[in-house]
Amino acid sequence: MSSNQHSNELTIDQGVVLAPVLTGASHEVSVVLVPERARFSLRVKPSNLKALSEASELDLPEKIGASTLASSTKILCLGPDERLVVSDVTSGGTLRRMFAELSSQISFSYADISHRNVAFEISGARAVKLLNTGCPLDLCLRAFPVGKCTRTVFEHAEITLLREGEYRFYVELWRSFAPYFVRLLEKAVKSR
Amino acid sequence: MTTFRRQGRGRPRQEKTVRFSFDGKEYAGVEGDTLASALLANGVHLVGRSFKYHRPRGILSAGSEEANALVAFDRGPGRVTLNVRATTLDLYEGLTARSQNYWPSLKFDITEINDKFSALFPAGFYNKTFMWPKSFWDWVYEPFIRRAAGLGPAPSEPDPDHYTSAYDHCEVLIVGAGPAGIAAALAASESSARVIIADEQAEFGGSLLSMPEAAIDGAPAWQWLESGLETLRSRDNVTLLPRTTVFGYYHDNFLGLAQSLTDHMSEPDPKEPRECLHKVRAAKVILATGAIERPLVFADNDLPGIMLASSAQTYLNRYGVAVGDNAAIFTTHDSAYIAAFDLSDANIRIAAIIDARATVDTRLIEEAKKRGIEVRAESVVTGAVGRFRVKRIRVNRVLASGVSAPEMIDCDTLLVCGGWTPSVHLWSHSKGTLKWKSELGAYVPDRPNENVICVGACNGEFGLKRALETGASAGGGAARLLEVKEDCGWSGEVFGALPTDRNETRIKAFVDFQNDVTAKDIKLAVREGFKSIEHVKRYTTAGMATDQGKTSNLNGLQIASNALARPVEQVGLTTFRPPYTPTTFGVLAGAQSGDTFDVTRKTPIDPWAVSAGAVFEPVSLWRRARYFPQTGEDMYAAVARECKATRESLGIFDATTLGKVEVVGPDASEFMNRMYTNPWAKLGVGRCRYGLMLREDGYIMDDGVVGRLANDRFHVTTTTGGAPRVLSMMEDYLQTEWPDLDVWLTSITEQWAVIALNGPNARKLIEPFVDGIDLSQEAFPHMAAREGRICGIETRLFRVSFSGELGFEINVPAHYGLTIWRKLYEAGREFNITPYGTETMHVLRAEKGFIIVGQDTDGTVTPDDAGMSWAIGNKKLDFVGKRSLERPDIVANGRKQLVGLLTADPNFVLEEGAQIVASPGQAIPMKMVGHVTSSYWSETLGRSIAMALVKDGRSLEGESIYVPMPGATIEAKVGSTVFYDPEGERLNVI
Repeated sequence: MSSNQHSNELTIDQGVVLAPVLTGASHEVSVVLVPERARFSLRVKPSNLKALSEASELDLPEKIGASTLASSTKILCLGPDERLVVSDVTSGGTLRRMFAELSSQISFSYADISHRNVAFEISGARAVKLLNTGCPLDLCLRAFPVGKCTRTVFEHAEITLLREGEYRFYVELWRSFAPYFVRLLEKAVKSR
Repeated sequence: MTTFRRQGRGRPRQEKTVRFSFDGKEYAGVEGDTLASALLANGVHLVGRSFKYHRPRGILSAGSEEANALVAFDRGPGRVTLNVRATTLDLYEGLTARSQNYWPSLKFDITEINDKFSALFPAGFYNKTFMWPKSFWDWVYEPFIRRAAGLGPAPSEPDPDHYTSAYDHCEVLIVGAGPAGIAAALAASESSARVIIADEQAEFGGSLLSMPEAAIDGAPAWQWLESGLETLRSRDNVTLLPRTTVFGYYHDNFLGLAQSLTDHMSEPDPKEPRECLHKVRAAKVILATGAIERPLVFADNDLPGIMLASSAQTYLNRYGVAVGDNAAIFTTHDSAYIAAFDLSDANIRIAAIIDARATVDTRLIEEAKKRGIEVRAESVVTGAVGRFRVKRIRVNRVLASGVSAPEMIDCDTLLVCGGWTPSVHLWSHSKGTLKWKSELGAYVPDRPNENVICVGACNGEFGLKRALETGASAGGGAARLLEVKEDCGWSGEVFGALPTDRNETRIKAFVDFQNDVTAKDIKLAVREGFKSIEHVKRYTTAGMATDQGKTSNLNGLQIASNALARPVEQVGLTTFRPPYTPTTFGVLAGAQSGDTFDVTRKTPIDPWAVSAGAVFEPVSLWRRARYFPQTGEDMYAAVARECKATRESLGIFDATTLGKVEVVGPDASEFMNRMYTNPWAKLGVGRCRYGLMLREDGYIMDDGVVGRLANDRFHVTTTTGGAPRVLSMMEDYLQTEWPDLDVWLTSITEQWAVIALNGPNARKLIEPFVDGIDLSQEAFPHMAAREGRICGIETRLFRVSFSGELGFEINVPAHYGLTIWRKLYEAGREFNITPYGTETMHVLRAEKGFIIVGQDTDGTVTPDDAGMSWAIGNKKLDFVGKRSLERPDIVANGRKQLVGLLTADPNFVLEEGAQIVASPGQAIPMKMVGHVTSSYWSETLGRSIAMALVKDGRSLEGESIYVPMPGATIEAKVGSTVFYDPEGERLNVI
């Protein structure tokens, strides 16, 4: 599967080519490239979190490692003052306008990182096994329940990992690390 | 040919014949054999030559402690593994192995002469002899020693196999699947806890596999084993890892496990990985690693046919192989009697049991008597005779008056037992402490350093009953006592070197078989003043072979202790380090090989550069296009063309890799003021400024152009390689020094693809594509930044120049980078648009005297040294590095300053890094006053240019300096670093 999509003669290219072996060929594990998304790094001190939550009507998770999901918008709490907001492209425009407006009232920061990251959905019975070929975290349900997210590593690449279901994970990473990540997954899937 | 198979003995298995080859000769074995058991079944005892003296060697043991039977294991081209222990090599159809360390043949080895002249090779021989001249070590001594010594030739082909690895987690990791380990696993897995049990052997059971007579709860031990394994296999929470060596125990219960997956297969699927590395984090570790039998130290104790007593028992009871027809036993421990009885019951003649101890358990004497075995107490073996196999042994009585005259006893096998050494290797890796247990003559675990417990023999608790009890209890099991029937008591004495009637300087009594270290060597080391076992070990190399002294450490220690007349505890214990047994580089590398050796970051525009035939270079993790050669061009021709085209019309350059940080918040300009030397408060929105960043010590750390997009928002760029450390230093200051500031940092390096356009036609090219930005000189002057759209896509457009020409840096969201590059490139054909790479970028900036941090600076260059005092906001109260700029050494004269150099011969391009002297006539060594930092051919100027750091360089303007190069000393004139367009007029082309 190629990552190319066309919109007004300009081509979106997420820089990722998935091998057939990863694109749902086996029901045990499948890796799918998530299409273009809007993303913001939202930074706000804990003292202003409530105000920002209320003014933006976004359900901003309070605990590090927690995530919320409202319609198509995922919000991941990655640090004491850091949240990653991921939404579809259309809502992204709305969010950006809202953030711009709110920044004159509340002290916080938003930075557009829509194209900094690319994302993958990794699902299937062997999803944990596949992730653990490069990610050192304990991904059993007790240690890493559904809804938990964290910034971690996959071999030499930094990734952001969110568990969306017992057998479904969402992985984000910087775009130039994605081909390396995909190649490692491909090798791991082939050799097992 | 005689076969040494014993019907009705050995583990139950299908007797499937397997053919294999050793030293080019074909043999037959049985599936389930190791190479060692199959060779013994064929009566082959001679399997190799020793490392130093090239003495004939046989099979010492039946496990991973093997020090003698090292072979080259050949799985085909590129797949030869050297120094593999024949005792751990699982047999398969077609297995090919060779003996090592001989020339021209195993039975006739010329280097065996080392053995005859061994008086010339005492301990420390290499240290003493090959010290001088020092330079000979690399070229003469080491290669010679390597060839002569038994390390084998290093593989020359790439490893064709692949390897896999994974992180695993468990509540309990059990190392060793002997009785203690299995009892622990059964108990631990009764709850839902995740249990991993690993064993280095193909078959689980450990010592139980060699004990068919034992009974547990009234049933044969093998039946208990079978049902126990059945239970474990049926439990979802248990992972059984056979052929898996736990080779290292690291911090916080992190352990490395190497699992062999295909080496035992006749025709492995080439897609299957050869080995798997399990990186396990365990809440609790149970070590059930057992104990290793200790050899005895007497003259010629290395002759083939001499082996550990328990190993002979294993070959018989597990593999159904008799190790000989007529075995003598030499022991200081009860356990060897049981081996003798087992062999005797299998109709192997027992020539005698020679026991060095004065008193022996009467029950054992009774049992021996029943079988008609002669027991000689208070006796020692003082020699073994035979060329390639023991034929007879020399036995003496040890009397109060001394050692009696020898008596010869015929035998074809001598089984030895000097007691048992608990395998505390992994315990030691985990930094658990050890205590000396004199009744065992061994160190045993004392205080743990991790959540770990040692059970069974590795804890010095011998016997099947204790193994099962301590294992079950460590696994959290109920204290139900099992009814166990087992053979023997476990008592013995420890001797070190044994008494002899022979001249000790003329015999070789081996302590370390693999490194050919004798008792005499250790005594010599002590005589030469070494008092700690750590020093004795390094001097004699005892315990330093790939077996890490599994069979030799304690004997060596005992001998050193006796020679020093000090208790063992005061002599010390050598440190065990990972890996427990040799581990392949392949499994450690795992997927980190080939195209996934490391990350190669590519920009969105990289595919275009590939199709345009770019030559790439690595810059930190990125790969960047260096130049774009056309047919027949070398780098110099390509760069000259790219430079010329850019200055004359239009060049296009991929600047995506520049680091970018978005600095946002009400305190953004205050933060910028503190981090950079420049002033930021007055920088207007929509303007850019060159920013210079210092470290705390006042030296230049990084630089880049910064655009102010809003009052509270800066778009900061950094060097490509500096991006991570700049962001991390900024975060460090923000979090630790200025947590009060309301400002946040986000890496946006990858958010934006950056297309740099330089050249007089740059504006003409982009004008038709840009919306929402007035590009006129007045509205959008040099060093301005605007947000708008290009080709309908949002852009952050910077008017900046790193070339001295009219220049734009077009930031577009990364996923659109390639498509917009293509559009601009197509439209640019009208202006002869020329793609250029990093090399041309370097030349263009050098012509303008712009520095590259890390090339023209080296971490010891201040802003003033670089001629950049103008970048310092003198009115600012503080910034990182400000106070250091007043340090006496930084304000003193005589510092190296960045200057321009023009060679007297305009066609000569200096070497970057070349040293500079003030005058050419000095005596050698001349005084160096600086070095060349950047040097290029400038096509624009039609001559070479260079920059250099020279002592007091700016005061030398107009003077000549000299660059000594091979063959000639080059004269150059000191001048300004700006070689081209010093007034900067070209920036303002309309």
